[in-house]
Amino acid sequence: MKNIQLILNAILSKNIFEYILVDRDLSVIDASAGIEKYLDKSPQKGEDVLEYLPELVGNEEEVKKIFVKRYCLYTLESVYKNDYYVNISIEYCDQNMAIVLLHNITAVTMAKQNLLQYSNESTLLYNTLQKVVDSQNALLFVTDAEKILFANKKFIDYFQASDMEGIRRKKLDLYRQFNARLENYHELFERVNDREEHIKIGEDTFIIQATLIESTHKLFTLTKITKLSNAVQLDPLTGVCRKKYFDLKLDELLKAKVNFTLVVVDIDDFKAINDTYGHTVGDVVLKEFSSLLKKSIRQNDLIARWGGEEFLLALKMDDLDKAMDRIEVLRKTIAEHVFKTVGQVTASFGVAWRNQCECDDAGSLLQRADKALYKAKSAGKNKVVLKKIEKRGKNCVV
Amino acid sequence: MIRKKILLLGDFNVGKTSLIRRYVDNTFDDKYLTTIGVKISKKRVSFHDLECELLIWDVEGATAMKSISHTYMKGASGAIFVCDVTRKETITNLDEHIKTFLTLNPNANYVIAYNKSDLLTIQQREALDISGNTFLTSAKNATNVDTLFITLAKEILL
Repeated sequence: MKNIQLILNAILSKNIFEYILVDRDLSVIDASAGIEKYLDKSPQKGEDVLEYLPELVGNEEEVKKIFVKRYCLYTLESVYKNDYYVNISIEYCDQNMAIVLLHNITAVTMAKQNLLQYSNESTLLYNTLQKVVDSQNALLFVTDAEKILFANKKFIDYFQASDMEGIRRKKLDLYRQFNARLENYHELFERVNDREEHIKIGEDTFIIQATLIESTHKLFTLTKITKLSNAVQLDPLTGVCRKKYFDLKLDELLKAKVNFTLVVVDIDDFKAINDTYGHTVGDVVLKEFSSLLKKSIRQNDLIARWGGEEFLLALKMDDLDKAMDRIEVLRKTIAEHVFKTVGQVTASFGVAWRNQCECDDAGSLLQRADKALYKAKSAGKNKVVLKKIEKRGKNCVV
Repeated sequence: MIRKKILLLGDFNVGKTSLIRRYVDNTFDDKYLTTIGVKISKKRVSFHDLECELLIWDVEGATAMKSISHTYMKGASGAIFVCDVTRKETITNLDEHIKTFLTLNPNANYVIAYNKSDLLTIQQREALDISGNTFLTSAKNATNVDTLFITLAKEILL
């Protein structure tokens, strides 16, 4: 007993440990003077230790076993007591006495709490951001040069993986899907940055867009534009939609009762280009021409190749005059552009305005725009002509 | 007097500490301060002639990296399992917490708190299937907080 007291005094002098000595009934025998800071008042001899250490309630039997087994059976870590954090442990002293040690760990626990607070707040933020990206309809993925580092749920589901580890194991190398000559995701980024390109994955076609997150990390967005049944909806030469897909979208616009102008665009004297420079140069002109059109329209407008040198546009605008102004700008842009090899090229524009008339279906719109194009050609080409709907009584006449 | 150990268990940031503060001190603070380790609060309850001191253990919440210490759970008479009704994963994780707790305390009672109900619209609240030992609670506006603790205490004592 005397030795224990000496050892305890040495430990207690460092203000790290305090103690309560208890008997077999868990009644207080003695306590260190400094114990009061954890308990408000000092335990008195004969008092029930559970009054001061409710942490032991429910575990009384386990604590009492120390008198039989003679080793520590019960410890509690990081217990908050009166603005301090302590570890509570019970050690065997002799057959009639055990010591309850309160080890002051306040400093280290406070440091741990700061870390835990930061970690938990970060986890909450991460989870929220994860939910945001998972809620997107597009397939999102973040890469470094070589591999995909992060993907949203839509992406993981599309590639039939259970998690990111599954995606990594698949080694998708999507840059090769875009162009077999691309070596990594940085090169894919350079190709698609600041523009909208198409990428074919399996039987689906996606619009691919890229965003720089950091110099080493890129965010790619894949927006599905085709379904499996509409396998080939893009014109392979120009990369714009084919007429069949355009028709589907046109029907959607009509059903949605959206105001728009339908434009048939035809390159003037294209046959002469083919005859003079050959079909290879003709193809280059078609690509350059479609690229000019694409750059000049907005993201929610539609563009398609009807065939040959004819293109279709659907420009969503509520105001016909503004729409006509935009088409005129488009005509000028083309006329002023210097095409590779052939120099200047012009185009004629036939325009039909989609109004609320019930008989205004896709067929009649196209017919009107086509008639307008014929007029533009007849009037000397390089012109924009609008064909308005005629009303006779209750009927509309194209 | 009888003393009973009850625990509040669940994921981090579901409102365990706030429920205890509301029940014991009738206070609420919106600020999130994570609990580390365990803190014990006391509250006296009485039913008819039976008086009891509830020793309410506010236990550090579980995270993906760290589960709740088994040492804290031993010797408990009951538990309140708390989830954040706005975070689905905290509801999903309840089953695991309950399973662990009952393995250590097979005869213990428990109730469940779907907390932060003040963040739901009336329609969202009505759409939830809440019954039996589960309560839609809010430490912020005190909804069902007393009921939650009293129900558990009665289950343990009566």
